Amino acid sequence: MKNFLAGLLLGVILLGFGMLVYLRLGLVDVRADAPVPHWVARLLYTGIHASVRRSVSEARSPGPAGDDTLIAGGKLYLNDCVGCHGEPGKPPSEFGRTFYPPAPQFPHQGTDYSVAEVFWIAKHGIRRTGMAAQASSYTDPQLWTVATFITRMRNLPPNVVKAIQQNPAN
Amino acid sequence: MRNLLFGVLTALVLLPMGILGCFALGLTEIRSDLKPSRWESMIMGSAVRASVRRSAAGIANSATSNHETLVAGGKLYIAGCAGCHGELGKPFREEHDHFPPVPQLPHLGTQYSEPEVYWVVKHGIRMTGMSAYGPFYSEQQLWSLSAFVHQINNLPPDVRAAVVANK
Repeated sequence: MKNFLAGLLLGVILLGFGMLVYLRLGLVDVRADAPVPHWVARLLYTGIHASVRRSVSEARSPGPAGDDTLIAGGKLYLNDCVGCHGEPGKPPSEFGRTFYPPAPQFPHQGTDYSVAEVFWIAKHGIRRTGMAAQASSYTDPQLWTVATFITRMRNLPPNVVKAIQQNPAN
Repeated sequence: MRNLLFGVLTALVLLPMGILGCFALGLTEIRSDLKPSRWESMIMGSAVRASVRRSAAGIANSATSNHETLVAGGKLYIAGCAGCHGELGKPFREEHDHFPPVPQLPHLGTQYSEPEVYWVVKHGIRMTGMSAYGPFYSEQQLWSLSAFVHQINNLPPDVRAAVVANK
């Protein structure tokens, strides 16, 4: 038993030390312009979603949103998110593809996250991705409108689509 | 001896599984608006530096930098990089919206050589906000940008003046 415990400790030290040496020798590939392996993507997205779910309280959501909210959120989206996340009705963003992991293309794939979760992500950002915290650029009510827009983006009332396209920069 | 080896093996299997398990259960902090710990910055920073050095080792700078290429690089910087990496002549502001934070080049400069900056801009850095710009710039643009960034906190005054004046 004593030998087993000593082995356990030795294993932990070896693993930690081996990892540091591996990192220090520059053996990790740091290029962003390589495809994300399937298993890495799955692990990343599962872990991120689980952490977001744990952090977000659904109760803070301001409730059902009218067309005005969607239009306001859509304008913010067109001003500041489309560069990486893609524009509705256009092909996926070339720029968003050059991040590792790539930026999700909401107009094409939608999102699995709830409104409150999208709000939280937009406000705080996601570590170790290109997603920066937006709290220093936008107020909470603004972030709620853009979160509402993103979750409904693939299912918008036609008059909302028209209103956003008519006067995007406002 | 057999018990010792068995212990080592158990640790080698259980530890990675435990770490992956914690991550998959959502127990890791993922907000990017918190400052990374000193340990994390040190370990990850040195890993990136070592990897960039290794990857860019064989690259020779094909372009010679002169006043014109530096000014051209400066214009590219203002148009495409300053939004995250900092404007020339603005006061230093620590960036904490991205995680890891974006290096504020006009103040900190860079410890990478020109070919290393070229490599980083072209390929990006995985799991940071630095995306790959290879598809968007020509080789010549990448090199003039690298020459500029390499000297960004120590620019010849006439280059600096030309870049700032001609936005």
